[in-house]
Amino acid sequence: MNPPNQDMNRFDELLKTVLRRAEPPSGFAERVLARVEQRPTAIPREERVPWFHIFTVPFIRWAAFATVSASLIVGTVHYRNVRRERAEGEAAKKQLMLALHIAGSKLQLAKSKVVEIQVSRPNGEAEKNRSRSKS
Amino acid sequence: MAERRSGTEQRKSTGIGFADIVREHQSMVFSIAQHFLADRPAAEELAQDVFLQLHENLPTLKSAEHVKFWLRKVTAHRCIDYQRRRRVPQISLEDAPEPAMPTHSGDPFLEKRVRRFVATLPEKPRMVMVLRYQEDMSPEEIAEALTMPLATVKSHLQRSLAMLREKMTRTIGEVVI
Repeated sequence: MNPPNQDMNRFDELLKTVLRRAEPPSGFAERVLARVEQRPTAIPREERVPWFHIFTVPFIRWAAFATVSASLIVGTVHYRNVRRERAEGEAAKKQLMLALHIAGSKLQLAKSKVVEIQVSRPNGEAEKNRSRSKS
Repeated sequence: MAERRSGTEQRKSTGIGFADIVREHQSMVFSIAQHFLADRPAAEELAQDVFLQLHENLPTLKSAEHVKFWLRKVTAHRCIDYQRRRRVPQISLEDAPEPAMPTHSGDPFLEKRVRRFVATLPEKPRMVMVLRYQEDMSPEEIAEALTMPLATVKSHLQRSLAMLREKMTRTIGEVVI
């Protein structure tokens, strides 16, 4: 029986032998080069112009500036309109709440008056009946 | 940008063109694919695709070492992707194809057996083994190429070796190894 280290080294050597580099099929490089030739000439990455280079054109630059400015103005106006409408809505809501509160208190007052009248009326009728019987 | 230019210019000035790079590294790229896929036509196709991708990206690579690192990395990732796309489940030993590799020396039967054992390993451990034993890369280099934690690479290596040793011992016997 072999010592473990020796076994390990032999196994490593065996794996290195088995997984050694192999030569590709003959004509491999030529086939790669032919495929490169056949491909449509792609612009090398180094020469590709970044997308933001379009802003070097004066017209595009001015158009972009105008678009951004117009968007800012429209956005600001819209935002102010929205804020004004919201403030108006809040004020209307407050007024409505106040009106409801006043109406509620008035109704409460009227109700208490009615109750008061109803309570006082049975005594008045009894007095009327008593005077009728005396006569 | 300046570095990128210097890399390209350096290649131009030294006369190392794309064709030279292909000839220099064709064996490495093809062998990684061949050992991983155990399928010679597929390995050739994949290796060609790697070189076509290299042709596109060549201006961004700064040095010869960078080209070599890039080729190993891209080949490894392409092999794993190819295997996943093919949707071949982990193959059993009986179903593993006989890799068509000429035997170098020693016992051809044993070498064939070991290749079949390697072909049965899961994708990532298999690629780790190929890079370790074909390219003699350190675990750190493998981790960088496969964008994998170092501990995972070491664990794959240990487990794969243990698995291979066990299979070898079981089927061939301790006498051979």
